[in-house]
Amino acid sequence: MSGVDVEASFTWLGDSALVVGTPHARALLDELRARPLPGVQEVVPALHLLTLLFDPLQSDGATLEAGVRARLLALRQPDPADGAARTLVVPVRFGGPGGPDLGWCAARAGLDAAAFVQALCRTPLEVAFLGFTPGFAFLTGLPPELRMPRLDAPRERVPAGSVALGGPWAGVYPRGTPGGWRIVGVTDLNLFDLSRPEPVPWRAGDRVRLEAVAGRPGQGRP
Amino acid sequence: MSGAPLIEVSRPGLQTTVQDAGRQVRALGVPAGGAADPVTRRLANALVGNRAGAAGLEVTLGGPTLLFHAPALVSLCGAPFVAELDGAPFPLWRAVAVGAGQTLRVGGTPVGARAFLAVRGGLDLPEVFGSRSTDLRGAFGGLEGRALRTGDRLRYGAAPPVTPRQAFIAPALHTPLGPEQTLRVTGTSDLTAGLGAALLERPFTVGAQVDRMGARLQEAVAAPHDPARASVPNVPGMVQLPPDGRPILLLPDAGTHGGYPTPLVVIRADLPRLGQLRPGDRVTFRPVPLAEARAALWAQERALRQAESALRAWSGWAGGGPLPYARGDAD
Repeated sequence: MSGVDVEASFTWLGDSALVVGTPHARALLDELRARPLPGVQEVVPALHLLTLLFDPLQSDGATLEAGVRARLLALRQPDPADGAARTLVVPVRFGGPGGPDLGWCAARAGLDAAAFVQALCRTPLEVAFLGFTPGFAFLTGLPPELRMPRLDAPRERVPAGSVALGGPWAGVYPRGTPGGWRIVGVTDLNLFDLSRPEPVPWRAGDRVRLEAVAGRPGQGRP
Repeated sequence: MSGAPLIEVSRPGLQTTVQDAGRQVRALGVPAGGAADPVTRRLANALVGNRAGAAGLEVTLGGPTLLFHAPALVSLCGAPFVAELDGAPFPLWRAVAVGAGQTLRVGGTPVGARAFLAVRGGLDLPEVFGSRSTDLRGAFGGLEGRALRTGDRLRYGAAPPVTPRQAFIAPALHTPLGPEQTLRVTGTSDLTAGLGAALLERPFTVGAQVDRMGARLQEAVAAPHDPARASVPNVPGMVQLPPDGRPILLLPDAGTHGGYPTPLVVIRADLPRLGQLRPGDRVTFRPVPLAEARAALWAQERALRQAESALRAWSGWAGGGPLPYARGDAD
């Protein structure tokens, strides 16, 4: 059990936010959730980045920076046996009217649609962070050949449940919104349901796997 | 005869929503929400003996007409909206007793954009992620996640009746309003010398696109464009610079993350002013050191706490124990 490398960057964002850049953002987030630093109102993750929103009447950036450094020093090396991360399986109907860009994406990757879907489903994805709209997760882990450029002009409305690829990311649109990513399929999984005790089913750090269901690629919705 | 503690909406106004102190679940992609002018929200609640975070109505530009089915103690604070109770002038910045069957009509305002209507006991609605605030884009919270409509009925919490005192809020505490606003800012790591020269110490005009998500400014500056830029969390009061160069001031319903440069952040003490901007207003960004930002916030907070505790002491209603539908003494 040795402390992790504490190399971290700290930048100010106004008088009530501190941005911490560290490869250990995930472990630090868990630590700050378990034992909040005084005055911190929210900790918001992004890729290798945590933004601490704090009450300037209760703390200040310098105090928080010292607190975060101490926490980083005390972080245990992540132990693979801990295995706290959950795996969420997203059942997807690829292609068809629910996945209008599947053919384009497969061609760009130099594969046929079935092979493209197979490659996508074999890829272990991870929730990097949530943002954009409630329940929208930025999924990381796509190999370079499966990364797709965003559309030149975003669609005015992407239907809820659309599974899409954009730049280094994969994602699922929880609600009908505008969107500029390439849509390859659709899921029935509800990613923002206020009637559930946990309205959003995933959190930063969770593992995600796409699973092809209900017919072969190209068939779309039954 | 008194009915149930209900407010019936006779006319909804331009955009009237239920708001409180907002949410703290940005990590799930959920915007903060909450009253766009939080200082006004605190003072309006203090006047009627509510906790600072009680839910009330945020009125925007054109106010609603409300029929009270039961007696209520209400206060209307913020921009100088014209208001009438059964045709008689209704004073702002005071606690006013409204009788069963009376109608409060809120009209327009010549300056500023928003007011907060607090009802003693607070509006009684279910919480979503710890808040009753309406998220219009996400369509949740408040009343079915939308602005008020004609015929809506809002229930408020039961609280021991009190006689309104003659207390009023000193104008020095009001959120500054008017067509010329100086917003104090601090720079971020995105602020280059060129951007500083383009953005600071010159007026920008607030365009037609002003809502609870943000206020778009009209004049464009040369904006750096980096399509590979990663999305990072937004913070309140950020000045975002999209590729077209027209800055956007982020308000409480702004998305949780953004991928555009954000060279400036408005200091917390000046955030209430953002909630009062209307199309045509002019804003100037003035850079201040962090020490000044902190001093300004403390000065504002001290005055607010003094007013809140004075109202609690005078009212005598503090003896009745904590009021329902409220959490926390401050934000």
